[in-house]
Amino acid sequence: MTIKIGDEFPQVQLKYVPYDAAAPNACKGPQLLDTKKDFAGKKVVIVGVPGAFSPTCSAQHLPAYVSKVDEIKAKGVDLIVCVSGNDFFVMDAWGKQQKVDGKIIMAGDANGDLGRATGLALDLSKVGLGPVRLTRFAAIVDNGKVSYLAVEPDSSEVAVSGAGDVLAAL
Amino acid sequence: MTIKVGDVFPEAVLTYIPYDAKNPDACGLPQQLKTHEAFKGKKVVLFAVPGAFTPTCSEAHMPEYVERIDELKSKGADIVACVASNDQFVMHAWGKSYNVKDNILMLSDANGELGSALGLVNDGTARRMGPIRLARFAVILDDLKVVYLGVESAPGVTVSGASAVLAKL
Repeated sequence: MTIKIGDEFPQVQLKYVPYDAAAPNACKGPQLLDTKKDFAGKKVVIVGVPGAFSPTCSAQHLPAYVSKVDEIKAKGVDLIVCVSGNDFFVMDAWGKQQKVDGKIIMAGDANGDLGRATGLALDLSKVGLGPVRLTRFAAIVDNGKVSYLAVEPDSSEVAVSGAGDVLAAL
Repeated sequence: MTIKVGDVFPEAVLTYIPYDAKNPDACGLPQQLKTHEAFKGKKVVLFAVPGAFTPTCSEAHMPEYVERIDELKSKGADIVACVASNDQFVMHAWGKSYNVKDNILMLSDANGELGSALGLVNDGTARRMGPIRLARFAVILDDLKVVYLGVESAPGVTVSGASAVLAKL
């Protein structure tokens, strides 16, 4: 079943490569991001995408979040997390290409734990992208509770889950 | 069962984004590559990696192929291809980061079709890398027949590296 507004956000562990401003190209070991422990007491924006480096994600979805990151944080957001079914190395490389500079946590859900727990998993094996993928969505999680959720009816487009939509909901 | 030297390379459908020399930054449309159709009658060097964009400090595999591509081609390789279970967008972006142009075909086996057919697929869930990951290996194919197979049994690059393959071409 898909999560809905008012629900407790499920606890899963994602993985990401921490950003090091002093040595942005250093090879850092990955870390876990626990959606219960690390989200406790915080306002979090989560952006789910079907695939790093894919045309829609790179051209429309993530860039708007990158350019509006200060506005989003100024509205009281502690953490912005971009997550996909790609692994954490790919997410890290994509974040570097998009000049995220550590302002957005680029997390991998390569095992599909988040997709299963939220009901937002997407099987893209028919288009050759593999079985473990997330649909395109944006959520606001306030102290562990879902306060906003927008799931794209067509995962190849950005209609309701963009940075502007989230800003309006904050 | 794992493939071995002398076997016919299995048929599998992979995907890739063709390199466009006129417009290398264009969002190309993914294409299918059927191994039997594409590799028939050709000498092919195919190397497989567990993941694109794994850290360059530990990643010695791809750079050596990039560096020695001319030697590989002058020794008769018609096609040099790299494959991983990452999707075609990731493979294309990874190829761009090494400026491979069309010298190395960057192939995706995101559904694990080739890995399963070869018996060279691993489960990466313990490292949170997902359930479908290719082993690190290299093959030389001559008209679809496996004439060399080097599968790494430990982390690192030895039998699947460009120099190991060059010695067998």
